[in-house]
Amino acid sequence: MPRLEKFKRVLIIGSGPIKIGQACEFDYSGTQACKALMAEGLEVILVNSNPATIMTDPDIATRTYVEPLEVEFLEKILEKEKPDAVIPTLGGQTALNLALSLDKKGILKKHNVQLLGATPEVIEAAEDREKFRAILDEIGAKYPRSEMVKNFDQGIAAADVLGYPLILRPNYTLGGGGGGVAYSPEEYKQMLVQALHESPTSEVLVEESILGWKEFELEVMRDSNGTFVVVCSIENFDPCGVHTGDSITVAPQQTLSDREYQAMRDEACKIINRVGIQTGGANVQFATNPKTGERVVIEMNPRVSRSSALASKATGFPIAKIAALLAIGYQLHELKNDITQVTPTCYEPALDYVVTKIPRFAFEKFQGSKDILTTQMKSVGEVMAIGRTFQESFMKALAALEKNTEAIQEVDFDLEKVSYPNSQRIWHIFQAFRHGLSLNMLCELTQITPWFLEQLETIVKFESTFKNAELTTELLLKAKRLGFTDARLAKLKDFQTSNLKNIRHKFGIRPAFFQVDTCAGEFASSTPYYYSTYWSKPEGSIAMPKTIAVIGSGPNRIGQGIEFDYSCVRGVKALQKLGYKVAMLNSNPETVSTDYDTSDLLFFEPLTLEHLTEVFNVIKPEGFIAQLGGQTPINLARSLTQEGFKLLGSSLNSIDLAEDRKKFAELCRELNLSIPNSAMAGNIGEALQKESEVGYPMICRPSYVIGGRRMEVIENRGELESYFERHKDFIGGKNPCLMDQFLSGALEVDVDLVRGKNWILVGGIIEHIEAAGVHSGDSMGVVPPQRLKQETLEKIEKLSLKLADKLNVEGHLNLQLAIKNDVIYVLEANPRSSRSVPFLAKATGIPLVDLGMKGQLGLELTAEEKAYDWKKIKQVCVKGVVFPFKKFQDSDSVLGPEMKSTGESMGRADTYSEALVKAFVSSHLALPKSGEVFLSLRDKDKQPMLPLLSTLQKLGFTFSGTRGTAEFLKEHNVQCLSLNKVHEGRPHCVDRIRSGQVHFVINTTAGRHAVEASFAIRRACTDYSIPCLTESDAAEAFVLALEKAKTGRFEVSHLSF
Amino acid sequence: MLKKYLVLEDGQVFAGESLAAQTEFPETAGEVVFNTSHSGYEEIATDPSYMNQIIVMTAPMQGNYGIDDQVWESKRIWIKGFISLQMQFSKANATWAQRLIEHKVPIMTEVDTRKLVLELRNQGTPWGAVVQAANENAAREKAKGLIAQAKQVDGDWVWEASRKEAQEIVGDNAHGPRVAVLDFGAKENILRELKKRCSHLKVFPSRADAKIIEAYQPDGIMLTNGPGDPAEVKNAPATIRHFVGKLPVFGICMGHQVLSIALGAKTYKLKFGHRGANHPIQDRILDMIYMSSQNHGYAVDSTTLPESAQVTHKNLNDQTVAGFFSEKLNCLGIQYHPESHPGPHDAVKLFDFFVYKMIQKKEKPHHAHH
Repeated sequence: MPRLEKFKRVLIIGSGPIKIGQACEFDYSGTQACKALMAEGLEVILVNSNPATIMTDPDIATRTYVEPLEVEFLEKILEKEKPDAVIPTLGGQTALNLALSLDKKGILKKHNVQLLGATPEVIEAAEDREKFRAILDEIGAKYPRSEMVKNFDQGIAAADVLGYPLILRPNYTLGGGGGGVAYSPEEYKQMLVQALHESPTSEVLVEESILGWKEFELEVMRDSNGTFVVVCSIENFDPCGVHTGDSITVAPQQTLSDREYQAMRDEACKIINRVGIQTGGANVQFATNPKTGERVVIEMNPRVSRSSALASKATGFPIAKIAALLAIGYQLHELKNDITQVTPTCYEPALDYVVTKIPRFAFEKFQGSKDILTTQMKSVGEVMAIGRTFQESFMKALAALEKNTEAIQEVDFDLEKVSYPNSQRIWHIFQAFRHGLSLNMLCELTQITPWFLEQLETIVKFESTFKNAELTTELLLKAKRLGFTDARLAKLKDFQTSNLKNIRHKFGIRPAFFQVDTCAGEFASSTPYYYSTYWSKPEGSIAMPKTIAVIGSGPNRIGQGIEFDYSCVRGVKALQKLGYKVAMLNSNPETVSTDYDTSDLLFFEPLTLEHLTEVFNVIKPEGFIAQLGGQTPINLARSLTQEGFKLLGSSLNSIDLAEDRKKFAELCRELNLSIPNSAMAGNIGEALQKESEVGYPMICRPSYVIGGRRMEVIENRGELESYFERHKDFIGGKNPCLMDQFLSGALEVDVDLVRGKNWILVGGIIEHIEAAGVHSGDSMGVVPPQRLKQETLEKIEKLSLKLADKLNVEGHLNLQLAIKNDVIYVLEANPRSSRSVPFLAKATGIPLVDLGMKGQLGLELTAEEKAYDWKKIKQVCVKGVVFPFKKFQDSDSVLGPEMKSTGESMGRADTYSEALVKAFVSSHLALPKSGEVFLSLRDKDKQPMLPLLSTLQKLGFTFSGTRGTAEFLKEHNVQCLSLNKVHEGRPHCVDRIRSGQVHFVINTTAGRHAVEASFAIRRACTDYSIPCLTESDAAEAFVLALEKAKTGRFEVSHLSF
Repeated sequence: MLKKYLVLEDGQVFAGESLAAQTEFPETAGEVVFNTSHSGYEEIATDPSYMNQIIVMTAPMQGNYGIDDQVWESKRIWIKGFISLQMQFSKANATWAQRLIEHKVPIMTEVDTRKLVLELRNQGTPWGAVVQAANENAAREKAKGLIAQAKQVDGDWVWEASRKEAQEIVGDNAHGPRVAVLDFGAKENILRELKKRCSHLKVFPSRADAKIIEAYQPDGIMLTNGPGDPAEVKNAPATIRHFVGKLPVFGICMGHQVLSIALGAKTYKLKFGHRGANHPIQDRILDMIYMSSQNHGYAVDSTTLPESAQVTHKNLNDQTVAGFFSEKLNCLGIQYHPESHPGPHDAVKLFDFFVYKMIQKKEKPHHAHH
């Protein structure tokens, strides 16, 4: 059946801000779907609150709404756009839940809109565990014994029946939010309360543990004719008990016999049919008992998911694109396989390689959180690697994590780290083999399928062979086939990495580049999607004339995420428009940049010097672009240049001037620009000498510590002494402590500009809402600035241009500045496209990346381009921020100089207050209309906060507070209920928050002790999703939003410039 | 130690390794074919259709999940060589390699199988030999002789693969029909699927006389899969002609091809055949599109089929005939493997269709069906 003609105008719902469990894979799927439907001539309306996405780039859809993914806003969009149908299966659980609400409230019916891809019945059948279990019973599929509990007492009763350990799964949450494994009754009780709270329906499935079972996932598709295909089978390296998003996974599955696999396939098909999925992609997760072979169903998702992005990249089967086309009526056999161009899409890819996915974690960012992996997802990103064998693919994936060039570096062995799942376990397993622990013992400790551990054991055994044997061509080739990086081999031989590489090249050992062709070579394929392997000899050339290489941003991590993929994809398109062929290099399967039709040549490779060098040697690019993929390519630029490849845009020297603190400070002094005072000290004695040079408050941090860890604001000498005492292990002559003046209360701004040889253009100035001291990635921001004087803005622009000229920037420059008492301080310069570039591009309509590309290539701007002026911005745009504190038990939500957020949203409106409302709502902050506000304020905030409190009072809010705050307020005639602090005895303020009587919290603190003392307050807010403002400026913005929200009047508008 | 080589008929050489455990390396020749199934090495190696063939697995890692005697498709291993990129030979899963070694099948690993497959795809299905030699030239010399010798085998491979004695099997369904099976090199799973549905089976040699079969008083005739060129199969076309129109006839793979020949159609050799578990089929009898398990080097020329036979099944990858049905003659030919093993079970309902036709015939012996 060909396309259904009745659908002419379709609305696609995106997935909103990036959060753990729902990341840029949905940008990939949404973008792919939009492109496919646009190509079919449909009008596509897109709504997504996340400005960092490629899908919200104005030319991806017919109409793009950057608006909150909430029912009232969706209804307004439906009213305005009158689409024929909504596709809810491409925007993760967010889109599915939203579609379900739209249906339940009768809004779809009212506007005569059909749901495509998944009906409300299907969404419920898959998401409502009891309904799903009934379906499994009907088709005779097994599932772990479990009970659905609706309150605490039922939960206790269920535990008595099922026994420990137990798995808790709250209904209708994404990424397993609020769930986990409880090993003891104490743990269970605590988790049960939280889980009941997490589930929007207050239902929790308490499940018999299948810890240690093998876990599998089938990525499937079905069309309206009932044709069913398994696109990809995925096997988890980690046994059950670890969320599949946190597991190392391998595709295709490796350890099932055909009989076992086909039985699983049959069951998946039955489930899909019985659940009632008409068309689209879905996944089904299974577990099998390694001893008995018994199989149970864990869950199914009736939508495109994180693993379908992985499956698409692993196989070359574009699941999201096909899902979109099936939704509008096509059937699988009517669509062509893009890769072979001759066969139809109704096929199951055959793979002649192995794919490994490894998650990347960020536990170090969340002090206090334990590095333990459970059924609740905690990873922030992932890498994928392709190799001919499991070993080659696995080792490439480890290299792709960008943690260590050795990939399997030695670690201080800790047997405990082997015995439970944690983010470091894999390296400890390698180390355990190095220490001679037996395979059997490791199998027992980890419950990982022996087959996988055997593969690792072989790798480790080879290490000692390699160490002791003469370095021959044969030996080195064997090593490379096992996936060893040059760096690891060099370490084993005590060589320099470059020496080892030279020997390897002398031996003529170079990787071959094989195509991902969906069919294991059965049909010819012209799709230029490649991976490297040492299992063949390089042959023929895949170079194209006039090729430029773009280096991507690798796995998502906090601080380097989807924003950089936006820049890369936009950059690729810009280069193509300028007549170049583009080779894209990246290792992140969640991205649009790794879609095989984004670039002219795609290399799915680790972003390391070794791997990039081999690719560049084959494609011989005219130059490479390092400004778009965040810090990863910038860090590689120098060594790639040394390999003889040409860096485009700003020179190494410019990059160095901007990146090197010392050189940059000198340059600023030369230009007469203010920078915060700073000094370095190797011990407390030196620190005290330099104390007055810097002045209090100051920010202290050890140099050479990754990710701004141990960074603290120090208010006085006592704290300085304490700081040096506590961190003495990390501070010394070789790695001194950096002491920087802290510009307390200063306004911070981000400036993004692009510059060519003889032109320069400011893309915008984003004013941060929080005061200096909060990482720019974590603070909300607004453009155009609301508090800065016109005169200051002009000064900022002038200063920025001056700096860019001095740095001789060709391409992008991002500046972070602070303004205090009308003095502009330069904090930081980033010689590349920044996190704020996509936000500004969507806010102002200026195609910053395209212009930046012209800058990097030394090209002129057209008159039209020169006329871009960010100050002509039509609307106020506010950046909202999303944090993952909920996923990290015992982590503190207080903001500071270290970035912790995972994603951002954008609120666009005619007024600042309305934009704020949208940004808050999009960041999942509830805006209470009335109720109790709990206040715990530091002294200096009390007086300035009074007008704000009076506004809140007028809005109908009441107050409670810690004793000091309450007394201060009473003195100023503000009614405030006085509550005990936690250490003052119960009932205390945290009890009150946990009891649900508090609607939001303003908690400002200073000094380490006060921060620690008030931790419980913030944690309670995190656990119970109660807004908690930790900065007075943020509180002000929040109240402004509350005021506006109370009016209940909102408009929606699509992007237009 | 001598090196291991796969030499193709045209002299191209692919080097590889052998397993240390295979102390005596058998040198063999056969047709070199590739299979894209991800799992199912044991089923494939024991499928008589792979007689005289050296099998190249595109899935790079083989032997991962060990062995299971229950899935053997016949009583022996038929392949002439097993070639892959990497063979598991650790303590836990050395069993598959050991089994091949016991059956004197040469195992070659560390072969650049992708390059080899692209070559096979371009060449078609060449003959080749697995040999050990000091160098490539010596390997070529050795291979030439082996290939020449191997090619001298009798053309009727089906007869070679077929049982020589008839075998009776009691079915599981007492009310089911009696089926006469003509063994062209049958996969066990065809028999298992029939056994589930029928009361009695009798498996006859491929050259069995029609009268002997008739004496068994079957309700239908099953023609199995088998190796080689269908045009070379002796006796069977005449036997089949005897029953066509009288009894329901169901042919699978070779059975389908010989059935078409019996009906006067022609078969031809495909360039490199279909061997895998992911071939899409459009099935107009079950009214479905599904994935199928395939293993064949020849196909039926649709233009030569009699008018009464409709092409009801199409391979959607290359539009070749995947099956036909003649209502008038009550016979069904299926080119792929509804019995799977290995591969998806999507087409297994075709056995039900055949059984239904037999029951219909049994209940209304004097009427034309439908």
